Amino acid sequence: MKIQYGLISADSHIALDRDAFTKRLSKAVWGDRIPQVVETIEKDKPVERWIVNGRIRRRAVCNCPAAMDGPMPRNKYPDRWEEVPRKAFVPQERLKALDEDRIDAEVLFPNDPGGFYDYEDPAFELACVQAYNDALSEWHDGSDRFIPLAMVPLLGDTEARVAEVKRAVSKGHRGIVMLAEPSSTVPGFKHISDPYWYPLWATCEELGVPVHIHASAGLGDKLNVPRWEGYTPRQFHSAFTVPCGAWPAQLVPNLIFSGVLGRFPRLKWVFAETGIGSINYVREACDYEWERRRLWTEGFLQRPSEIVTRQIFVNFWFERSGIQMRHAIGIDNIMWESDYPHISSTYPQSWDFVLRTVEGVPPEEQKKMLWENAARLYGVM
Amino acid sequence: MIEGSPSVEQACVLISADEHVVEHPGVWTERMSKSRWGNRIPHTEQQSDGTEHWTVDGEILPLPGVALTGALLHDPCREPQRWVDVPKLSYVPDERLKAMDAGGVNFAVLYPTVAGLAGETFARLDDPELELACVQAYNDWLIEEWASRSQRFVPQCIVPIYPAEASVAEIKRAVKKGHKGVIYPAIPMQIRNVPHINDPQYDLIWATCQELGVPLCLHAGSSKGVQIPIHPGMSPRVAAALQAVLRPASAVFDVANILFSRILMRFPNLKVIFAESTVAWGAFLLEYADHQFQQDRCEGYELKPSEMFTRQCFLTTWYNRVRTDIGYLGADNILWATNFPLANSTWPDVRHFVERGLSGVPEDERHKILWQNAAKLYQIS
Repeated sequence: MKIQYGLISADSHIALDRDAFTKRLSKAVWGDRIPQVVETIEKDKPVERWIVNGRIRRRAVCNCPAAMDGPMPRNKYPDRWEEVPRKAFVPQERLKALDEDRIDAEVLFPNDPGGFYDYEDPAFELACVQAYNDALSEWHDGSDRFIPLAMVPLLGDTEARVAEVKRAVSKGHRGIVMLAEPSSTVPGFKHISDPYWYPLWATCEELGVPVHIHASAGLGDKLNVPRWEGYTPRQFHSAFTVPCGAWPAQLVPNLIFSGVLGRFPRLKWVFAETGIGSINYVREACDYEWERRRLWTEGFLQRPSEIVTRQIFVNFWFERSGIQMRHAIGIDNIMWESDYPHISSTYPQSWDFVLRTVEGVPPEEQKKMLWENAARLYGVM
Repeated sequence: MIEGSPSVEQACVLISADEHVVEHPGVWTERMSKSRWGNRIPHTEQQSDGTEHWTVDGEILPLPGVALTGALLHDPCREPQRWVDVPKLSYVPDERLKAMDAGGVNFAVLYPTVAGLAGETFARLDDPELELACVQAYNDWLIEEWASRSQRFVPQCIVPIYPAEASVAEIKRAVKKGHKGVIYPAIPMQIRNVPHINDPQYDLIWATCQELGVPLCLHAGSSKGVQIPIHPGMSPRVAAALQAVLRPASAVFDVANILFSRILMRFPNLKVIFAESTVAWGAFLLEYADHQFQQDRCEGYELKPSEMFTRQCFLTTWYNRVRTDIGYLGADNILWATNFPLANSTWPDVRHFVERGLSGVPEDERHKILWQNAAKLYQIS
C-alpha cells in the first residue's frame, strides 16, 4: 500500500450490506435465525431493523450517522435500508469517502449486528462469526486500504477459537476484537487473565496480530454508575460514555500485574475509542506500586512502563491534553482514529480536527502518530 | 533533592489532604451500649490461629488485616494480622505527630480505615439505628482522641447515608463538635438499596454542606461496582498492588457522575473533594467530558463540565508528576496528600515525592497545591 495522504484511521467501523449473512449462511441449516434486515413497527411507525436468531435489534438499521447528510455533529440514524448511504457499506464508495477525507487506510472494527455469543449457541455463533470474517476478508481482497479485524467465537472450545483466528488471519485479517473482561460481561465466561485464554494469546502472538479492546468492550452497562432516571437521553449518554474512556486505566494494569503481558511479550494490545490520556496514569501508577512494593520479588522483573511501551497502543481523536502529554504516554504507541461512520467521526473534515489537535507538535512526531505507528503495527508497509 | 528548587523548602507548611486514622479495638466497644447492641458492635475477634479480624453486626470486614498500615511495615504488602503488630505510629496520636514531623507534614486531614477508606463500612448495614450508633461513636472518638489532642489533625465526619434527614442531623452534630469535612460514599446505591445519588432526595445533604462551609469528601474505592474484578488466582501481594492502582482509576466514575448529576449546578458553593484520585487522568477526563457534552448537545446545564469542576472540585496528588500547563486541571483544583499510613503512601519519602512531583510547577502554584487550597477549604490558619 502506498501512503498518499499520511493519515491512517486505526479505528473505523465496517457497515455490512443487508445480505452479508443471508448469502453466506446456509438457509437449510439456519433458516430464519440468520442475521437479516426485516420490517417491524416502532412507535407506530414501520421501520427496518436487523433480526438475529429471531430477536429484533432495537437500534438503527445501520450505525452510520457520520455518513448521513447534514451539519456536524450529525446524529441522525437511518430507519430504513434505503436511507443508508452507500459510502458506508459499499467498498468502492467507501474508498471514495476515504479519499474525500484524505485518509490512506482504515482499520475495521465491527458494527451492529455483532455480539453473536449472546445467543448461547456455539455452532450458530461460529457460523455468524465466520460469515462476518469472510465478508471483511472480501473487502480487504478488493483493497488493501481496508485493514480488517476478526471477531472471535467465544462460546465454543479453544480449538475452534484458535482455528478461526488462524483462518481469518490467513484471509487478510490483521488482529482480533476481544471483550475487555469476559467474566464481567457474561456470567460463566473466564476472567481476562485466566490461563483459559492463553492459547488465544499465544496464537495471536505467533501470528503477529494485536488484540483489540474497543471502547468499554462489554463492560459499559456491567461496571458503571447505575443509570439515573432523572437524565434526559442526551445527558445519560454523556454521563455513561465519559467514564468508560478511562477503562484502560484499569484494564492495562490488570494485564501487567496478571503477568499476561510478560508471558506473551511480543503480543500487542490496542485500546480503541478510549482516548490516550489515561495511559500516563497507567505508566506512573504501576511503576510507583512496583517500586514501593518491590514487586520484582514476586517475579515482575521488568518495569511496568517498559511493558506498556513494548505492548500497548492507544488512539486519539479529540484530545489536545493527551497530545501534550504524548511523551508520558509513548510517542511510538499513539495512533489516530476517525471512528467513521460512527457519531464521533470527524469525516469529512478529519484533517481540520487532526491539525488542530496536533498543532505545535514536531513534524516527525506528528508522522508517527498519524500513520507510521499504525503502518508498523498492522504491517501495511 | 533537585537542585535549584528551594521553593518547597521555603514553603513552611504542608497540609496532607488525605490520611487515614487507624481505629483501635476499643473505639466502638468503649462508646456503644453493650446491653443494647451486644455482639453487633464493631470489634476485633481472635481466630484459632492467633490472627485477629474486625467484625460488624456478625459480618467479617473485608480488610486484608486488622489495620492498614503498609507504609510503616518492612513489607508493605503484608498488613498486620494481630493488633500487637500494628505500629504505634499509626494509631497513637502523639506518635502520629512524630510520623508527621518525620515527613515534614504540618496538618493531616483524616479519613477512616476500619469505617471504610471512603466511609462506606456502616453504609452496608441495613439497620439504620445501628448504622447511626456506629457512625456517632467514630465521630465522637475522632474528636475526643485526635482533634482534641492537636490542631494538626483535621477531623472529618462520616454519616448515616440515608435518609438525608438522618445524614444532616449527624453532619450538624459533628460539625458542631469540630469536624471540618463530610465523608460520603460516591455511589451509595451500589452499597445499599437507597436512591441514586443524583436524586434530589439528597439535596438536603448538599445544602447543609454548602451552608456550613464544609467540603463533601468522596474518597476513591467506595464501590466495587466500578472496578474490574481481580482474578482469584493472583498472589495477595500482587493483588494488593493492582487494587492500589484500580482504586484511584475507579474514581473516574465518581467524578464523571458528579459532573453530569447537576448537583454542582444546584449547589454552586458546594466544594467536592475526590480523595485518592491522583491527578494523572484529570485533564483527560475533563476534556473528554466537555467534548462529549458538546457532541451530545447536553441540555440543562449552565456551564461546561470542566467549568463546574474548576469552580467546585478537587483531585488529590501524592506521587504524580503534576502538569498544570496543559489546561483543564489547574493548580486551584489540586490538593497534595501523603495517603499515610496506607501501603501506597509516599511516607517516609514525602519530601522526595514533593520535589519530584512538583518540579515543573511554578512556585505560586506549588503553594496552592501543597497547602493554600487545603487551608482555605478547611479554614486552617
